Amino acid sequence: MGWTCTYTPEEVIYAAGALPVMVWGGLGDTKLADAYMPGNSCSFARSSFNAALRGDYNYLDAFVETNSCDNRGKTYDMWVNYSKVPHTYFINTPHSNTEKAHEFFYREVVKFKKWLENTFKQPISDSSLKEAVEVYNENRALLRKIYDLKMKKPPLLSGTEFLEICLSSLVMPKKEHNELLTKLLNEIERRSDVPKQGVRLLVAGSVMDNSELSKLIESVGGNIVADDWCTGSRYFWNLVTSDGESLRAIARRYLDKVPSSFMFQREERFRHVAELAKQFKVEAAIMFVIKYCDTHMFDAPLLRDELKAMGLPVLYLEWEHSMSGFAGLKTRIEAFIEMVGGVK
Amino acid sequence: MALPQKKLKSTTGFYRNYIQGFYQRAHRAKAEKRPVAWVASTFPVETLQAMDIVPVWPENYASVCAARQISVELCERAEREGFSRDLCSYSRCVLGSMFGYEKELPEGGLPPPDFLVATTCACDTHLKWFQVASRVYKAPLFLLDVPYNTRGGDSTHLDKEHIEFYASQLGELFAFLETQTGRKFDMDKLRETLAVSDWTSRLWTEIQSYRRTVPCPMDARDAFSAVFFMLCIPGSQQAVDFYTQLRDEVRERAKSGVGVVEDERFRLVWDNLPLWYNLKIFEYLNSLGAVVVTEVFSHTWTGSLDPSKPLESLARKYLPNMANSSTRRRIDIILNLVKDFHVNGVVLPLNWGCRMMSIGETIVRDAVYKKLGVQSLIIDVDSSDWRIAREAQVKERFATFLETLKR
Repeated sequence: MGWTCTYTPEEVIYAAGALPVMVWGGLGDTKLADAYMPGNSCSFARSSFNAALRGDYNYLDAFVETNSCDNRGKTYDMWVNYSKVPHTYFINTPHSNTEKAHEFFYREVVKFKKWLENTFKQPISDSSLKEAVEVYNENRALLRKIYDLKMKKPPLLSGTEFLEICLSSLVMPKKEHNELLTKLLNEIERRSDVPKQGVRLLVAGSVMDNSELSKLIESVGGNIVADDWCTGSRYFWNLVTSDGESLRAIARRYLDKVPSSFMFQREERFRHVAELAKQFKVEAAIMFVIKYCDTHMFDAPLLRDELKAMGLPVLYLEWEHSMSGFAGLKTRIEAFIEMVGGVK
Repeated sequence: MALPQKKLKSTTGFYRNYIQGFYQRAHRAKAEKRPVAWVASTFPVETLQAMDIVPVWPENYASVCAARQISVELCERAEREGFSRDLCSYSRCVLGSMFGYEKELPEGGLPPPDFLVATTCACDTHLKWFQVASRVYKAPLFLLDVPYNTRGGDSTHLDKEHIEFYASQLGELFAFLETQTGRKFDMDKLRETLAVSDWTSRLWTEIQSYRRTVPCPMDARDAFSAVFFMLCIPGSQQAVDFYTQLRDEVRERAKSGVGVVEDERFRLVWDNLPLWYNLKIFEYLNSLGAVVVTEVFSHTWTGSLDPSKPLESLARKYLPNMANSSTRRRIDIILNLVKDFHVNGVVLPLNWGCRMMSIGETIVRDAVYKKLGVQSLIIDVDSSDWRIAREAQVKERFATFLETLKR
């Protein structure tokens, strides 16, 4: 079952016995999607839709979208109208976490569970939900442990290594992933081929579903030690913690987690970023704003000012998911790292 | 050969007669320390009107700046602060006006807000833009969190949960407004305001109905000016008075067969926003024998309000706004307009900084053609940032489109 936003309550899909897989785009052009989606639409959404038109997602039984931004709401209509995925579903995600919003979202999650049960003729039991929570929480905790190894100087793993580990969690069966992570954790702690220190960087942005930019950063002497990506720290930072009914606990976790930029609690995200910058002793920050992500484009100048006020050099970059401006990005990142590295 | 447009008397001097007064009243309220609120598009403004709070619409102000030909300079001002050129031009324009502009601003700029009210109903942009303004002015922001109308139903086909979630937040809104103003919220006053707003809405709908007449008695340029009351202060006597006068004039024209152009060859529907900086484009269309006989925009802001069910009514009026709905809703509206208004072409102008008004238009185009055999023109423009499309290019697209319709 394909999903696109980290506000999708994956535990419920897992409990239904289905495999939740995050839907990504490719790095090339989006010629197929361009016939349907205008040039000013989110380049990630366009790229993912392009992949669907190309047939990359013909293996999906279902596609679930959430109301986490204007681009998603409208792109859902594209999938419904033009993709070949047999079942589609839309979860209404509030943009705030008041008690009323929690109650609304809980009801949305209940409806989603019923839809899964009806569509796949598979009852979802309480015990399977509890198990899903355990497996997902374990995954989050393991990812966090590995993530924290980047606090060390030099970090025990590179930004690219971590990003790829995290991305694999988004598309793999979680139980299997947990086993791999446990083994990996042991290996990393004992590794002798520790990566180069590089300029310690924090990156902020929305989605990062590939490691090209991270590799580029490393190729010019930088290293991402902390991130504020929805496919990075914001994916696993918070556990399902509340007791009681599983669905309620699951729903609560999503609205209360470190927020994405579409949520009303902007300051909470800014605090998370500031906290990361301190804990991971970063030397500079790069803001990757994917075109055409409205919510991040509005937040970016404010977050940039906050990071600068902390004494950090900040580079603001807008990037197309197709990587059409890759050469330009490389030049700017290289100059920036050189500038920061020279200051040391 | 089409003859030049005959202007409506009611809308002549609309800006001078109504818009200027609107901003003067807002500045006066500010000077007299009466509460001034910034209001986001699709916010249930009747709630503010019922508490005598002066509503200020940044979105309307952006269109004013575009009409006055300074929107691009203001956008550039915001871009210098780091706000991306790909953001909504309305928001860039207003942000630009906030960050200090060397020349004089139209109507003295926007009065700073005592507080702001936003909703996710129209778009995420309003939430984020108002968050920036809230930070700059250190003024509190209330968010009305509105679920997406996934099934795209109209006011009578909405999800029960959506109405409940919407209505339940209005209680919190009243508490917020009481705290901000020190005034007591009065449900009876709200009921009265809703009755006025409902009447405004009926009048506007009636005015629109006369535009079904061939030839069409009222052009898009008039509609995009006059819709101001429907949008910004629907619950006011001024709105009722103005629409009564306009209704009488348009009705009379329809009866006596006076059209916008004499030789009406093309009847068009216009989706989304106009080019505020170039409303003359409608006259260009007139010169080619084409009249925009109706706009989706003119059918987006109406909604009946039942004073005996104030909260539910407001939810039903605003929730199905097409910006907050799946593309199906937009398709339904346009299909009906094409049929009711005897339309032979659809204009689907995108809006560069607006995802809601851009994604999905291909689905609309295909559905309208499949169901009714009517063609659409999708055109890349922006409501306020004229750097997106050159005028000559836009005109040429229109001329070519009209040629296609002849065949």
